[in-house]
Amino acid sequence: MEFTSLVFYIFSAILLLASLRVITAKNPVHAALSLVLAFFTAGCLWMLLEAEFLAITLVLVYIGAVMVLFLFVVMMLDINIEEMRRGFWENLPLAALVAILMMVEMATVLGGSRFGLTPPAPKPADYSNTRELGLQLYTDYVYPFELAAVILLVAMVAAIALTLRRRPGRKWVDPAEQIKVKRNDRLRLVSMAPQKPAAPKAAEEEEA
Amino acid sequence: MLENYFPVLLFILVGLAVGVLPMVMGWVLAPSRPDSEKLSPYECGFEAFEDARMKFDVRYYLVAILFILFDLEIAFLFPWAVVLEEIGTFGFVAMVLFLAILVVGFVYEWMKGALDWE
Repeated sequence: MEFTSLVFYIFSAILLLASLRVITAKNPVHAALSLVLAFFTAGCLWMLLEAEFLAITLVLVYIGAVMVLFLFVVMMLDINIEEMRRGFWENLPLAALVAILMMVEMATVLGGSRFGLTPPAPKPADYSNTRELGLQLYTDYVYPFELAAVILLVAMVAAIALTLRRRPGRKWVDPAEQIKVKRNDRLRLVSMAPQKPAAPKAAEEEEA
Repeated sequence: MLENYFPVLLFILVGLAVGVLPMVMGWVLAPSRPDSEKLSPYECGFEAFEDARMKFDVRYYLVAILFILFDLEIAFLFPWAVVLEEIGTFGFVAMVLFLAILVVGFVYEWMKGALDWE
């Protein structure tokens, strides 16, 4: 067996196990951590397909940002796990049917023989997948590329609209105001006549 | 192309070994005499006060989501930077337009006060 095939089978096995743990783990934090492993292994598989830019982006964006958000939410959320697992067995037959149908459909569509595809020859060492991607993305696919910007913009506006709330009566300090403050704003020097302190007679008498 | 990544694979394997071996050795070699006091969770010597899970401010999600969006924006810049000389003015203008659309969102969130931490 070829070395890359061996690596492929190892990564595939890890990916399948991790995905299985995502849906079977009782603790949502464990499920999220398994999902991190699944994403990372999927990134390794993409790397084996010579899609280096996508593989690194998957690790950077999904593991570095999206999964951190997931973990953050899952760790802090007040989730009643028992409540969520209720109805698992009643819904299992329907869910299994949907899953099997989906699998058959994907196998039908995605099987390489349907398109008369043969495995591509391995690329030479100086082949840059990032370069090829860039040459396509910013010329032939410039319209979908700009659409991606619009989708990101919509996501940004939606996130702000959904989560941003002003709380009345809040107290806060403006750092700019704090920095701009001068001595005269805080300190008032009052000139007044000197006072002569009263002689401590009482203490002397006590000692004597 | 994959031969460039063989050192990375080796690095992953060595990294796994460095991470896993001490744990396995500790688990195998160290004496283990657990009792209920040793195994119970504690915080600073007290009994645990409450569950770690609690509701918290939605503002944290907002910061994280905005970070993801700009992270994606940066990811689009990498292939562009690699091929900038070949795609010429057209590619440059395409990226300027892309960034301009996202700057609209940036200005919106700035003006809206989503970046302020009250």
